[in-house]
Amino acid sequence: MTEKITIALAGNPNVGKTSIFNSITGSKQHVGNWPGVTVERKIGKKVHNDVMMEIVDLPGTYSLTAYSLDEIIARDFIIEEKPDVVVQVIDATNLERNMYLTTQLMELGVRLVIALNMTDLALAKGDNINEKKMQEFLEVPVISTIGSKGTGIEGLLDAVTEELHKTRVTENVFNYDNQIEERAEKLGVVLDSDPYFAHYPSRWFSLKLLEGDENIIKKAKESGSYPEIQKILNETDAEILEAKVADQRYKTIQTMLRQVCNINTCRLTGSDMVDRVVTNKVLGIPIFLSLMWAAFEITFTFATPFMNMIDIFFGWMAETATTVIPVPWMASLVGEGMIAGVGSVIIFLPNILLLFFMISLMEDSGYMARAAFIMDKIMSKVGLHGKSFIPLVMGFGCNVPAIMATRTIEDTRDRLITILITPFMSCGARLPVYVLLAGAFFGRDAGVVIFSLYALGILVAVVSAKLMRSTILKGEDTPFIMELPSYKIPTLRGSLIHMWERGKIYLKKAGTIILIGVVGVWLLASIPAPGSSGTFASEEIYGTTESMIGMIGQALEPLVTPLGFDWKIAVALVFGVVAKEIVVGSMGVLYGVGDNEENLSNILAAGAMTPLAALGLMVFTLLYVPCFACIGVIKRETGSWKWTLFQLAYGTTLAWVFAFVIYQVGTRMGLLA
Amino acid sequence: MKRSYGSKEMAFAALAGVLYAFFGLLHIVEGLGIDTGMAGLLFIPGDILGGFCLVVIGAVFLNGLREMLQGINAGVSFVYVGILMSLIFAAVYLLIMGGNLLDSLIVPDDYEGWNVMETFRPGIYLGLISLFGIFHWKDKFSLNEVLVFREGA
Ligand SMILES: Nc1nc2c(ncn2[C@@H]2O[C@H](COP(=O)(O)OP(=O)(O)OP(=O)(O)O)[C@@H](O)[C@H]2O)c(=O)[nH]1
Ligand SMILES: [Mg+2]
Repeated sequence: MTEKITIALAGNPNVGKTSIFNSITGSKQHVGNWPGVTVERKIGKKVHNDVMMEIVDLPGTYSLTAYSLDEIIARDFIIEEKPDVVVQVIDATNLERNMYLTTQLMELGVRLVIALNMTDLALAKGDNINEKKMQEFLEVPVISTIGSKGTGIEGLLDAVTEELHKTRVTENVFNYDNQIEERAEKLGVVLDSDPYFAHYPSRWFSLKLLEGDENIIKKAKESGSYPEIQKILNETDAEILEAKVADQRYKTIQTMLRQVCNINTCRLTGSDMVDRVVTNKVLGIPIFLSLMWAAFEITFTFATPFMNMIDIFFGWMAETATTVIPVPWMASLVGEGMIAGVGSVIIFLPNILLLFFMISLMEDSGYMARAAFIMDKIMSKVGLHGKSFIPLVMGFGCNVPAIMATRTIEDTRDRLITILITPFMSCGARLPVYVLLAGAFFGRDAGVVIFSLYALGILVAVVSAKLMRSTILKGEDTPFIMELPSYKIPTLRGSLIHMWERGKIYLKKAGTIILIGVVGVWLLASIPAPGSSGTFASEEIYGTTESMIGMIGQALEPLVTPLGFDWKIAVALVFGVVAKEIVVGSMGVLYGVGDNEENLSNILAAGAMTPLAALGLMVFTLLYVPCFACIGVIKRETGSWKWTLFQLAYGTTLAWVFAFVIYQVGTRMGLLA
Repeated sequence: MKRSYGSKEMAFAALAGVLYAFFGLLHIVEGLGIDTGMAGLLFIPGDILGGFCLVVIGAVFLNGLREMLQGINAGVSFVYVGILMSLIFAAVYLLIMGGNLLDSLIVPDDYEGWNVMETFRPGIYLGLISLFGIFHWKDKFSLNEVLVFREGA
């Protein structure tokens, strides 16, 4: 009979918890070299020594006093759900800060096993850590690991199973000064007499109360014995006690560290050197912009040959389909609907993959955290701080994980604003629209146009943040604190895996939602409108105003005529709410890429719209309602339909106004004619 | 106090800094539509944003030089990062060139009368200087490695 146990992987942010989780369970959860990658708990399974282990990867947290949502998730899991064993992953190059959480976990009395991770880096730095001594000192198993390589994982699991059968560890790990001890004892008596507190170790709870942990005090308030507790608490100033408790913990840690390791200090590491430059007051931002430009160039220019290959392939497919399939409407469905529609989306896979590759490089090298640091000054001008910048950069890939990443932001208003502006960051799904239109209408200047769109997205986000900050979501500035991880040279394999993990989602989307979407568009384009005399999928119906879609489109047309769009664009935009790629997909279906040599961009440039309208369409796509998945996540993370609807209305209004101004003013002034 | 970083690093920073800044400016000037007369000979495109990037690399080198001249040894960090950046850009330009070459094989019709040297950029040949640098200071280039420095007074 196998035992079933739960193991929590806890620890400071960016110490390698997810790397270890992946090594144990064989899963591929996202790993990145910046604090705050994991923002929700992930569960995996593993059988080891006949024990069925349920492993829970938690977001990082510096202590059991939680501030931001991701920290709360980690803390609550450890305290409320009481895993059988907590494995604290520790960054061996940063022992002192990491051990603070250790002291808290020990006080909480959990069964603790320490994974001393990043031992390779500590060794390279010249640190010498004696884990045997550490183990003796803490009376907790300490196992050296290298999470990214999977080294030491077996030993770690052995230690966990062994720990499981040991008798309970003592709770009185640290002694504080008399004043604290006396009060803790007094509180302990009160807590022990109230069954409400039976769930928590009383010494730990007392200390937390004395420290003034808001969450714990809130819990205590719900109990019947709160008046008594309050009386004891009122005898002293919580802030002084909090400082004292922390001080004592650090002293204990330092005493221990002096005995167990020999740390190389007083040296400038390679990471420090790079940071001197890239976070330089004057040069930091220009360097950031240069690197962005390099990433951008690669994403667009290097993709071209691969796009042409895909284009040729789908052209051939469509042609073959139309000649091979004898039934005309079926040939049209497969050729003009499925292949043209899905093909016009898949053709952008090279762009998407390269974009994701660039974002992976940024995440894995550790530069992401620096970017946040550099941008903090600019962000604080609009009332946000550097932490909000990371979700924005992630947003270039996909807005959905980007919005999730806001969980690391402590202040709820800051977080709300960041969620509301993230959809303005131009995600990968919108890119096909730009590449298609900019390529068709702006030829050699396509790069500049696309770059400007990204810039416009950022600008709109920043100005919107400022607007919200000074009107509906006023609040104080919160200080920006973020640990800068040491740089790691990204491995090609790692970055390729990341790229593929995300690119796969795009492909999957093309094969599912987008395929369904374009088939839907094809159907609507083939079914005759009520009152029309044509037959299903016949040439005089397909994609004309005589079809269902034509009817819908014409109903919508007045809304977009001022923007210079025709009814086909109106329909494409409506379908684009399902997934932005469908904008291009349905244009592929509607403008009929048929069997002639001309491709979609040539057809568009030949007169379907003017360059100004095309520019307006790109801007409209950038700003209007995000896709379904994104709307869903906004609702979930803000917990409010009101704010979700606000985002949709605000974005769409902006989109319309921008496109209107571009088209109308531009036309009047004779621009781009 | 004895300086552990001497003339070699400074000379390198000065040379690379001036070259990158100068070529970057040429890109920008050409990008503004002013003919410098050097475009053909030195493969300089009219590219304001690309030029800006080269200027930034130049500025990184020159700032390193400035700090080293002031006796701040850690100023050498700028030289290393400058080298790193210039290599990144050389790689980017090479990839673009390769991409174009590949594309010209796939859709030859679009590339009639085109020559691969049209996408040859100063970012590539300037990168050679840094390549030399990286070979010279090779052992210092592991990011995980610890380098011993003291801020000069
Ligand atoms: N050199 C080295 N790198 C490691 C080791 N373990 C993890 N890493 C790297 O450290 C970085 C952070 O790893 P993650 O597993 O994402 O860390 P995490 O603790 O889950 O981080 P959060 O989810 O942000 O709290 C990644 O770049 C890993 O590749 C290790 O033992 N040695
Ligand atoms: Mg993680």
